[in-house]
Amino acid sequence: MSAWDLLVTVEDLGSDTPPVTLSVASDLHVGGVILKLVEKTQIKRDWSDHALWWEQKQRWLLRTAWTLEKYGIHADARLVFMPQHKPLRLGLPNGNTLRLRACFSSSVFQTVMGVCRMLNIRHPEEHSFLRPVEEKKKKKDKDSAEEIYDLTEVPLSSASRPCLYNGMPAHFADSPQMEAIYKMLSVTQPPPAPEVITKQFRPASVVDKAHINGRWLDSSRCLMQQGIQENDRVWLRFKYFASYDIDPKYDVVRLTQLYEQARWAILLEDIDCTEEEMMLFGALQYHISKVSESEPQALSSSAAMDDLESALQSLEVKMEGESSSASEMLENMTAPELNDYLKIFRPKRLTLKGYKQYWFKFQDTSISYFKSKEESIGEPIQQINLKGCEVAPDVNVTAQKFLIRLLIPAPEGMNEVYLRCENEQQYAQWMAGCRLASKGKSLADSSFQSEIQSIRSFLAMQKTSSGSHGNANANDESINPHSLVSPRYHKKYKAKQLTPRILDAYQNVAQLSLTDAVMRFLQIWQALPDFGLSYVVVRFKGSRKDEVLGIAPNRLIRIDLAVGDVVKTWRYNNMKQWNVNWDIRQVAIEFEGNINIAFACVTADCKIVHEFIGGYIFMSTRSRSKSDTLNEELFHKLTGGHEAL
Amino acid sequence: MDDIDAMFSDLLGEMDLLTQSLGQETVPPASLSSTNKETNYSMSYTDLNDSLYELEDTDLDALMADLVADLNATELKLAADMQGLKQPSPPPPDLPPPPQGLSPRPTSSPVSPASPAISTSSNVSTPTSSTTSPLPPPPPQTTKPTREEIEAQMKADKIKLALEKLKEAKVKKLVVKVLMNDGSAKTLMVDERQSVREVLDNLFEKTHCDCNVDWSLCETNPELQLERTFEDHENLVEPLLAWTRDSENKLLFQERGEKYEVFKNPQNFYLWKKDKKSLKDMKDQDKELLIQENFCGTSIIVPDLEGVMHLKDDGKKSWKPKLFQLRASGIYYVPKGKTKSSRDLVCFVQFDNVNVYYGKDFKGKYKAPTDCCFFLKHPQIQKESQYIKYLCCDDENAMNLWVTGIRIAKYGKSLYGNYKTADRKAAVGSAWTNCSTPSSSNPSTPSPTIRAKSPSQANGHVPTRPPGPVTKDFGNVPPPPPPPPPMANFLPPPPPEPVRPSPPPLAPKSSSKPALPQRHLPTNFPPPPPTMGGLPPPPLGPPMDDASEAPPDFLPPPPRSTGFGSLPPPPMNSLPPPPPPMSMDLPPPPPDPGCLPPPPPMFTGAGAPPPPPPPPPPPPAAPRAPVRPSGSVRKVPPAPPKRTTPSLQGGAGGGGDFMSELMLAMNKKR
Repeated sequence: MSAWDLLVTVEDLGSDTPPVTLSVASDLHVGGVILKLVEKTQIKRDWSDHALWWEQKQRWLLRTAWTLEKYGIHADARLVFMPQHKPLRLGLPNGNTLRLRACFSSSVFQTVMGVCRMLNIRHPEEHSFLRPVEEKKKKKDKDSAEEIYDLTEVPLSSASRPCLYNGMPAHFADSPQMEAIYKMLSVTQPPPAPEVITKQFRPASVVDKAHINGRWLDSSRCLMQQGIQENDRVWLRFKYFASYDIDPKYDVVRLTQLYEQARWAILLEDIDCTEEEMMLFGALQYHISKVSESEPQALSSSAAMDDLESALQSLEVKMEGESSSASEMLENMTAPELNDYLKIFRPKRLTLKGYKQYWFKFQDTSISYFKSKEESIGEPIQQINLKGCEVAPDVNVTAQKFLIRLLIPAPEGMNEVYLRCENEQQYAQWMAGCRLASKGKSLADSSFQSEIQSIRSFLAMQKTSSGSHGNANANDESINPHSLVSPRYHKKYKAKQLTPRILDAYQNVAQLSLTDAVMRFLQIWQALPDFGLSYVVVRFKGSRKDEVLGIAPNRLIRIDLAVGDVVKTWRYNNMKQWNVNWDIRQVAIEFEGNINIAFACVTADCKIVHEFIGGYIFMSTRSRSKSDTLNEELFHKLTGGHEAL
Repeated sequence: MDDIDAMFSDLLGEMDLLTQSLGQETVPPASLSSTNKETNYSMSYTDLNDSLYELEDTDLDALMADLVADLNATELKLAADMQGLKQPSPPPPDLPPPPQGLSPRPTSSPVSPASPAISTSSNVSTPTSSTTSPLPPPPPQTTKPTREEIEAQMKADKIKLALEKLKEAKVKKLVVKVLMNDGSAKTLMVDERQSVREVLDNLFEKTHCDCNVDWSLCETNPELQLERTFEDHENLVEPLLAWTRDSENKLLFQERGEKYEVFKNPQNFYLWKKDKKSLKDMKDQDKELLIQENFCGTSIIVPDLEGVMHLKDDGKKSWKPKLFQLRASGIYYVPKGKTKSSRDLVCFVQFDNVNVYYGKDFKGKYKAPTDCCFFLKHPQIQKESQYIKYLCCDDENAMNLWVTGIRIAKYGKSLYGNYKTADRKAAVGSAWTNCSTPSSSNPSTPSPTIRAKSPSQANGHVPTRPPGPVTKDFGNVPPPPPPPPPMANFLPPPPPEPVRPSPPPLAPKSSSKPALPQRHLPTNFPPPPPTMGGLPPPPLGPPMDDASEAPPDFLPPPPRSTGFGSLPPPPMNSLPPPPPPMSMDLPPPPPDPGCLPPPPPMFTGAGAPPPPPPPPPPPPAAPRAPVRPSGSVRKVPPAPPKRTTPSLQGGAGGGGDFMSELMLAMNKKR
């Protein structure tokens, strides 16, 4: 067979270096080409990660046993010899950017798996890469200031599960820098500054929301094929909202990132919620940031313990628990109580009279009051049991107004009672007492002190936000309440108006542990009516206007843009088959009962829609028994389209 | 009863230990002497204790209060106590340490005087019982370090037990009358910790109904014309305590189809927008999938409800239509002129503090547009009030949708848990009722006698019941009557969850899928696996747990009767025992070589002589309990006929009165 010249660019020699010319025959296999090439460059190094990339055809020549003829390569082919793993800038759900080595030659599905393995995220199939939204680069300087966490030195491993050290993959334990990166991954970020939220793009309509979904990368093709170059940016995001088998013990990073994605979805109004829900989300964010500040290791360390350690520790806790129950008994003997002069007002009964001062005694779950301290030994004027009552704050720190509004249930209805405190200290104590009592807990309850603390920190929040002057030393206690809610509420409420509302919601979550709070946040998010919907603008067959298709974990919905309402719902379990006509780019679906729908996709490629539907069906096939091995083949069968066959 | 005594003294011992350890640090010298001191000191308490036994039934609370007050009041008192102690105890040493140990106590003094004053409220039990704890620091402590560990362990165990017992002593109990479907009534005692589920089980046993999942306990309030089915996980006592004394509220035992309808036909709630016909033909497998999706995920999904309902204006008899939406976080409405988007919604009510009730005949009462009304109110509200939110639906279906939706939003997972339990019970129950129910039926006839009867009954049955036969339970279909001993519903329903076991067969399908060409998917594609996920196919694990737990749970109040000083079910026999257990329990400390002197006095002084006499008083009443049934119950509660509020230590005053009255009544009966 005759020999001919093949031009191969070796990337590592630099872009200025001319291509290397090899004399080859068509029956030479790819492995042989590489061998010749390496000999010719005369560079001794590890070439094992390198492979040939055929630029015109946009494909990798990964089968080294295939001959050039089989690949169809002729003298006009321009080949590039380059590493398969290259640095990639990865935007995380929490807003930070990682630089790491990702595989550019395998399918995105596998690349995501590799990245997730490196970051210790289980169930990579729920993730995918998203082309980032181009930021309007008004200020270049800001972009350059962005901190990039570098993971490019991490050795590539093929182990399905990285070995853990101290609860994190061993490669994170190498140096303090690496540990810091792991912390960034596994600990929730502090609330963003309100300006940061306002600056970001917020979808104003369901069509806006649909646009983002046109940016998903194709899972069945590799990064190179999709035009992603070395050092390019992609976002790693949860794509399929079917979080499977979440276990706080093993899913520290996964949970944290899911929380971050959810938090941003809410702050940017990517998913709609009501004001009450927003306040609760705000309260949970506040609580989560507080708790993760005070116990930054909580999440990771719990995972970190190996069996023995954890056994020991839990034993210890148990012992402590026991002794504390005994000490609680002792405490009970000394039955804590509050006594003070407070002012009381009953808006219902005596509207004319103002606040009247009495000597108050808080005991167990009841408040009783007397004319004066001296008479407190006798019968109280009244005793109010707070169990089951509603407690609301009415506080204005600058005006020194510390009001506790009580709504006390009685057979006849609810009785309104206002208690007025003199100062912060008094207010914090009595408020904490009222809160506990409303839940049927007495002052002896262990949460009393922490309740006082949290009330105080909220007061501090109000102080700093109302008087933004000074406060340069901004003790970390202060969080701007505008950091916790979407910009809509920045306009609607001043910070000091927002604080009591968030505080109100906060009382129900204040005692949650970090993990519980994160889980609660996710649960409320998942319970929102629009949760899990990915939108695509489509044109239904026979229809003349654009409509929106919502793809959810268990169903498809059709939204009429004119009405803005769901007009039809189809569930996957009624689906008989779906087809994609790649030539006319149309998706056709058949449901039981002879229901057929077909549509063309407007804001996203039909491959993306196809992958979404197939992906959700794949997600639903996962079962506990084989949770460790991912059936990649099935995934591609369901999502790949005709290329995959 | 002896039990509680023993526990009590144990507890005293523990307290002592605690105080002692405090004392020891400050008074290092002779550990022996210090222990002695303490034991001496404790002596006085045990004495008091003894007299306590006598009075326990009638006036325990008051006594406790006095006792503590006494102790704390003055040093004089202390000194007096010490004197009293000196006599029996050989080594009298110095007095300083005790006060140290006691130092926390004086602070509690304000409590005790207060408690009687507040006694009108039913909550008093808490303060009083807490005061009991401080009482006595008697038993000596080991001196040998080697034993310390073991002893510490023992003590730890005991303290735990003692604490439990103490808690038990606080437990409120109610005697309630439950109206049956046929108009008859059964009277039972319910204690604070019993869930509605347990009470239902109790009633199953008494009535021999078919135990299906629809059986419920409902409350009615004629004044508000309300009706509500209690959820199985709720405690029964709490809502009952909210009833006013003079209320004519009733407690009904009924079949309520709507209670678990959402689990039987989830499509009617989750796919209610679809046409009725397709819903009717829904396959079981699809129903199961719906349940999985909505109840077995990380969060509970609330049915997507939206519709116009009429809202009653405050105080007026006018009803205004509004477009309402149900969300997990509450009910919202769309304000006039606004869109339906989430951000514009106005919160109408959140569910933390309210329950949902059906309203009866509101057309007549409030001129409602239809009779399909429900309302939301704080459970304590018993009379008309502006704080009650009345809503009126177009038809019954809508009303049931809303009420169920609200329950799902409020109770979440527990609702599904309740259903699963009820379903298991039903399977077992139907098995039982199918096979003729023999002897066990007799005991149930004298309904109200639970206290006396159920314990013995329960004890008798439990062992005889082989857990094996019950294993068959498939849905509600009464399986071929296995040969199970007929006696109870208590039976642990061991085996698999009766929820349709569809998953396994489907599994193969899913695995075969890959082979199929991607374009042509098999029918029913998605469903199979998810079912597997949520519903662990090998249900053997959990049920086993249930099995082991179940029996104790259901044995209703027998063990608890210990807390009930006055009426120990089998007290006759136990009368003699009391002393022995006493000594048995007290001794553990004494045996310790270190503290030789103290123990003996303890015995003679405290344990043996006084206790025997006291117990007698209660027993005469107790054994008669069986006969006391209906008559006494009717008589007991003065004002409210169907229930009697206080119990045990309930209110210092009220409780005691009630108890003595009860006893009186029983005596008379006899």
